[in-house]
Amino acid sequence: MDFTLIVALVIALALIFDFTNGFHDTANAMATPIATGAMRPRVAVGLAAILNLVGAFLSTEVAKTISGGIIKEGDGGVQITPEIIFAGLIGAIVWNLLTWLRGLPSSSSHALFGGLIGATIIGIGSQAVAYDVVLAKVILPALIAPLTVGVVAFLATRLAYFITRRDSGKADGRGGFRYAQIFSSSLVALAHGTNDAQKTMGVITLTLIASGMQDVGTGPQPWVIIACAVAIAIGTYSGGWRIILTMGRGLTAIKPAQGFAAETSTAATILASSHLGFALSTTQVASGSVIGSGMGRRGSTVRWGMAGQIVLGWVLTLPASAIMGAFAAGLALLGPIGIVLDLVLGSLLVALLFRRSRATRVTHDNLHDIDDAGRVVKIRKTPRKVSRTDRKKVAL
Amino acid sequence: MIDWAAFFVVAFASLVSSAVVVSLYSLGLRLLTTAGRVPVVEPAEFTGAITVLTPKRAAKEAKRARKAAATPLTRGQKKAAVLGAYACFVLCAGAVIFGVYLIVPALHG
Repeated sequence: MDFTLIVALVIALALIFDFTNGFHDTANAMATPIATGAMRPRVAVGLAAILNLVGAFLSTEVAKTISGGIIKEGDGGVQITPEIIFAGLIGAIVWNLLTWLRGLPSSSSHALFGGLIGATIIGIGSQAVAYDVVLAKVILPALIAPLTVGVVAFLATRLAYFITRRDSGKADGRGGFRYAQIFSSSLVALAHGTNDAQKTMGVITLTLIASGMQDVGTGPQPWVIIACAVAIAIGTYSGGWRIILTMGRGLTAIKPAQGFAAETSTAATILASSHLGFALSTTQVASGSVIGSGMGRRGSTVRWGMAGQIVLGWVLTLPASAIMGAFAAGLALLGPIGIVLDLVLGSLLVALLFRRSRATRVTHDNLHDIDDAGRVVKIRKTPRKVSRTDRKKVAL
Repeated sequence: MIDWAAFFVVAFASLVSSAVVVSLYSLGLRLLTTAGRVPVVEPAEFTGAITVLTPKRAAKEAKRARKAAATPLTRGQKKAAVLGAYACFVLCAGAVIFGVYLIVPALHG
């Protein structure tokens, strides 16, 4: 097969997905240092972008299958056509943009899996999906990852406060955690670059192999590596400010010790999971550790309403992107006209979502509006009994 | 089905490593402050976190303050504290380097 239009479209969509993946996941690493003022917002996303770019070049070993076993592909299984990947990518991109508009940190890889599952069910049939693998690799880890890392971050936060506790009125030096935050967050960003850019490289490389343009068993071509690295870095640098706001302030008011404890737990869990063979979603790990560190500091409150919304987002990610992937696949089956219809509908939806986002803009400029108000408001520091209403005020 | 053994290994490894790294860095900060060298790191931008002390907590801390005021550190003790703090930070830097080693496949491949 030659370099057909559909292959070109898949590559373009894969790079767009890579971009949304980058700006969706900036918050995982950089929400807490931005929230505690360890780094200025622009500096933080710039650092994350560079580390993602570097990370993408560090690890270019592509997976053997696109779906990681979720779809019965390869020997004795079905052949995933470029049309199905195309439809799956549309589902994943639209879901990523929808959750970004709502400021929800949701897993980009789950969105990709969901889109592929939906497209496969329509394009090939539901027998091609390995549901037991979906349960073991996607659904159960999504339930236990945030809980586990939440406990780890809770204990780490408690330890940090216990060890640095000093007599009231004396400086406790906890501002010093800001330096450490820069390093722990950078590790998370670097790990993200090595993991996530690789996924897109895999999609593109496997599409090229399937269309006979690349030898079976070869790694990604240099231009694929460069394009994927640049796409994820630009995505990271454009910063999903809405999600940063949710992670940095929406869940709980983060202080430096908490931010450090949370990012250290995130980095430790991600590194342990990728090296001991139990893959976990970076996004879910990062959100879990922010909640855990929120519970670990006395006097801080976790906004459970927001936490509930995020969890709902996780639960919906797989089925919702599957439905959109299935819809896109249904159109793509109509032939070239369907593909064009897919593209037109997809672009219209994306344009609509961007228009909606203009109405409530969140950028690095207005991210700190609330804090600027804090400069002129004197906060009472004398001990007093906290009434329920006051707690609510602090929470607001 | 799910590989519970692998999961518990991951959970245990992340718990121990986070606890060790966070404790080391906290201990370093604690030693610095006890030596009188309080690290002051101003936020790059003002942020909104507020702490509220309970009366019980405040009374406990006042008691500790009185106790600490009665026994000030000698110069040698202060020096030892600063050295200890630096040792803690060096170990933390080692943890970061180990993290980079784990991330880069070419290093551990």
